[in-house]
Amino acid sequence: MSRILKLVLAANLIAIAMLAFTYPNLMVGPGKLIPGHKQLETDCFACHAPLLGASSERCVSCHKPAEIGRLTTTGQPVSKPLTSTPFHQKLTTQDCIACHSDHAGVKRFRPHRHFNHALLQKATLDQCQSCHKAPADALHRQISGNCSQCHNQNKWTPATFDHSKYFELDRDHNASCVTCHTGNDYSRYTCYGCHEHTPDNIRREHIEEGIRDFDNCAECHRNANERDIRGGGGERRGKHEGKRDRKGRDDDD
Amino acid sequence: MTNSLWRQHVLPFTFLVGLLAAVTLAGDYLLHRLDLVWVGRYLGIPGTLLIMAALIYSLRKRKYIKTGNPKTLLTLHEFGTWIGASLVLIHAGIHFNAILPWLATVAMGVNAVSGMVGKLLLDRSRRHVQGQREHFQLRGLSRPDVEQAVFWDAVTLDAMTKWRKVHIPIFIVFATLALGHIISIFLFWSWS
Repeated sequence: MSRILKLVLAANLIAIAMLAFTYPNLMVGPGKLIPGHKQLETDCFACHAPLLGASSERCVSCHKPAEIGRLTTTGQPVSKPLTSTPFHQKLTTQDCIACHSDHAGVKRFRPHRHFNHALLQKATLDQCQSCHKAPADALHRQISGNCSQCHNQNKWTPATFDHSKYFELDRDHNASCVTCHTGNDYSRYTCYGCHEHTPDNIRREHIEEGIRDFDNCAECHRNANERDIRGGGGERRGKHEGKRDRKGRDDDD
Repeated sequence: MTNSLWRQHVLPFTFLVGLLAAVTLAGDYLLHRLDLVWVGRYLGIPGTLLIMAALIYSLRKRKYIKTGNPKTLLTLHEFGTWIGASLVLIHAGIHFNAILPWLATVAMGVNAVSGMVGKLLLDRSRRHVQGQREHFQLRGLSRPDVEQAVFWDAVTLDAMTKWRKVHIPIFIVFATLALGHIISIFLFWSWS
């Protein structure tokens, strides 16, 4: 390699190195910074620790966890909060980088790292209404709390609860939730909430058939069809057969 | 003559460059299709390691390394750099972020193309020394000795020497820019 070529090469590479130090955001930064951090564009080490990457310790030196969602870093109230309720105070760990990517180029690779309910403390997880407003439709107006019985924390819809798996709400049972589920407890139910079924009638009918265990109605009766009665095994049988099965099992006991 | 130039130089060169582009595009497409874009971020590591491994040939040629079959090492050099370059190209993707890694990518691309030109020049040189091979054989040299003598003749022919004067500065530029990119990653990236 000739001496001139070596000099030209060296000069070019030195120029590039100087540009990297002068304009690190353009030369080595993986994309534009978020608008809120624009003033830090040329100060990489404001957020990055050498050889360790962006560190949460550096984030919280400006963003006090107790103030996130409430006050800006200058102490002013947040005028347009991104969430209805501040929640950073209730996170299990202070790992800012797990969710936040300030460079456009890095964000592209982390679409899955959005808010995740699993990051919330256990006590907060059960208090859905502290962040979410209950829908105002006819069904949800009857319910307060216990959202997790029907909805999971990955997404609101579709609701994961299929009532037909337990009991079909056919035309004979087109009742409001509180008729069967009293006290807002949807893990329990009663069939004695309407005039059709009374404890005395039910007891008499079942004792006549030799059935003594009839507390859990929906274990055998999954709908209003009297010919569609399941035994403990879950198979659909006719009324008569279902009774025989139940009777036989009782005899075995 | 025209037919020979087309068949022996233009077509093989176009095929090698085209295949590199096709492999890069196919790899990028597959990663996006399989929702594995994040994998592309790490393909730069095996790509760089392959390119570095391929440099063993250059060290062997300059006698910094005394052992190793030069012919095998040259094959490793050709395949290692080609596969390494394709991995780095997939790693670079089509995402324009910082200037330094893109300069490194462009330098690597030029280096890869230059390498493919070198490969074709070497093939031409080999054909040129075919006559010499026959001459050595007539002199009664054993087959391995003939292959060894002819191999070094092929790689030291005038055209190859001139090509090397271009290929090595391009590689130095690529290596320096790539090193700058790697240092910046180690400096700012969080591996945890």
